[in-house]
Amino acid sequence: MALLTVKNLTKKFGGLVAVHDMTFDIEPGEIVGLIGPNGAGKTTLFNLISGIVHADQGSLMLAGKSLIGMRPCHRSRAGIGRTFQVVRPFDMNVLENVMVPALTRTRDTSKARKAAMEVLEMMGLAEFATRSPGNLTLPQRKRIEVARALATQPKLLLLDEVLAGLNPTEVAENLPLIRQLRDTGVTILFIEHLMDAMMAVAERVLVMDQGALICCGTPREVTSDECVIKAYLGEEDPQC
Amino acid sequence: MKKYTLWIAGGLGALLLLLVPLYFKSTFVLHIYTLTFFYIGLTAAWNIMAYGGNLSLGHASFFAIGAYVGALLYVKLGISPWIGLTGAVAASFVGGMILSMPLIRLRGPFFTLATIAFTEVLRLIAIDWRDLTHGSAGLNIPFDLGWLNLTFKSGAPFYYIALALAVGSVWLSRWVRYSALGYHLRAAASDDQAAEALGVDFNLVQITALLISATLTAVLGLFYAFYSYVLEPATLFSFELFSLQPALNAIIGGMGTVWGPVIGAVFMTPLGEFLRFYLGTIQQGLNYVVYGIILIMTVRFFPGGILSLLTPLGVRFKRWIGDTGDNQ
Repeated sequence: MALLTVKNLTKKFGGLVAVHDMTFDIEPGEIVGLIGPNGAGKTTLFNLISGIVHADQGSLMLAGKSLIGMRPCHRSRAGIGRTFQVVRPFDMNVLENVMVPALTRTRDTSKARKAAMEVLEMMGLAEFATRSPGNLTLPQRKRIEVARALATQPKLLLLDEVLAGLNPTEVAENLPLIRQLRDTGVTILFIEHLMDAMMAVAERVLVMDQGALICCGTPREVTSDECVIKAYLGEEDPQC
Repeated sequence: MKKYTLWIAGGLGALLLLLVPLYFKSTFVLHIYTLTFFYIGLTAAWNIMAYGGNLSLGHASFFAIGAYVGALLYVKLGISPWIGLTGAVAASFVGGMILSMPLIRLRGPFFTLATIAFTEVLRLIAIDWRDLTHGSAGLNIPFDLGWLNLTFKSGAPFYYIALALAVGSVWLSRWVRYSALGYHLRAAASDDQAAEALGVDFNLVQITALLISATLTAVLGLFYAFYSYVLEPATLFSFELFSLQPALNAIIGGMGTVWGPVIGAVFMTPLGEFLRFYLGTIQQGLNYVVYGIILIMTVRFFPGGILSLLTPLGVRFKRWIGDTGDNQ
């Protein structure tokens, strides 16, 4: 059975159709990339799945259970973890930041502290545990964002541009992490603008344009698809 | 071992506090101490909501609910205030549930305004329901000595009761701060949407904090009623005394921390009594001018409160006694 089933999902903001009639499945253990030009509706799709905005139409199911009508906190407990494109650390130290989600899985603070420490070690942030996130670099803060989402013990992890704003060296350092996360049993759906990163990591790519799913396939298939080229580069000019 | 220095210092402090009533026979001095303890409790209770980023200016309502329920059960039905405590807790719980409706719908100053309105409505009910509360004339608690009636000949027993309440309130607020609830409240205060996405039930944690804060305040109100003997809506529902003062104490001491409210109450209560006593006779309201200046200075120059000024000293002290203190 698919881990995430999205069927005819639609969201309108006034006259703007942000997500239009999207239907797709994500299988357990997959790494799926989500690409599309700016304003295609990628982040809105993440907001719909994590429950920050509610769908106008369509159905959303996690492992066969409907998510429609559930609040974000309940979806998180059901197994959906997400990061925000703009990092949003809480006003507390790095360890405490990761303890907050860990404490939704256990009420015991010492167990949560241990679980949070394990996640920080995995993310290579252990040495910054008692620092304030404000004093860390952007790549490190992005890692905190991922660490927090991981501490909710998600089945499906939604990563919203965790590599954006990093320099090529940092990207190269962070890429193996996505595979490593999947190997711990997490299914991953990630938004990314860096095509190299997408090609290197994604097993399947969904392409969105103007709120609709226009193409879906392996990275190689997607990059040679006419619709995708049109979406990114526009119509071919016959005079050229 | 140096590790125990803090405990020994704390124990000595506690012992000194226990000996105060034996040394000071002056009722005025004892009254200042007792009042300070009540305010430590009130500020700590108020602060539990502040962990979640909510500023209440309506805690007088819960204070008065506790006072009136305890006193009415005793005066009208002869029920001992110790048993009446359960009634006070239950009534303030209901009051908290009512206030939780605006709590989950309104944010920031809008919720604060709702707390003021809530208190005002209850105050008007207390004034107009003369058969029950005797209205503005006030309700007197009959003088009938005994532990069960919370009526004593000297001020000493209430000194100890208030001390115990202060310790209990601070302990409870410290417990909340370092529990799962405390972490979730701080996350909710910091970024409600990110907190929700990480599994924090924003409404549930805020309502829980409100209910703990409200019931604790009502317990303090009940004991205060028996301490002051007279229940008047104008005093118990007083905006300045029981809604604003706890907030001021917490802001000046250090809002959202465990010890800030204690420092604020210990600093502000005797100062307030002193100012009322000396400046109040010169020109009414002059004491509030001084209050205003202190508040403006605090917010302008050390927004973290007095505690933020003391923290560097505390860190040095801990290092000096060899406490690395990296836990919490």
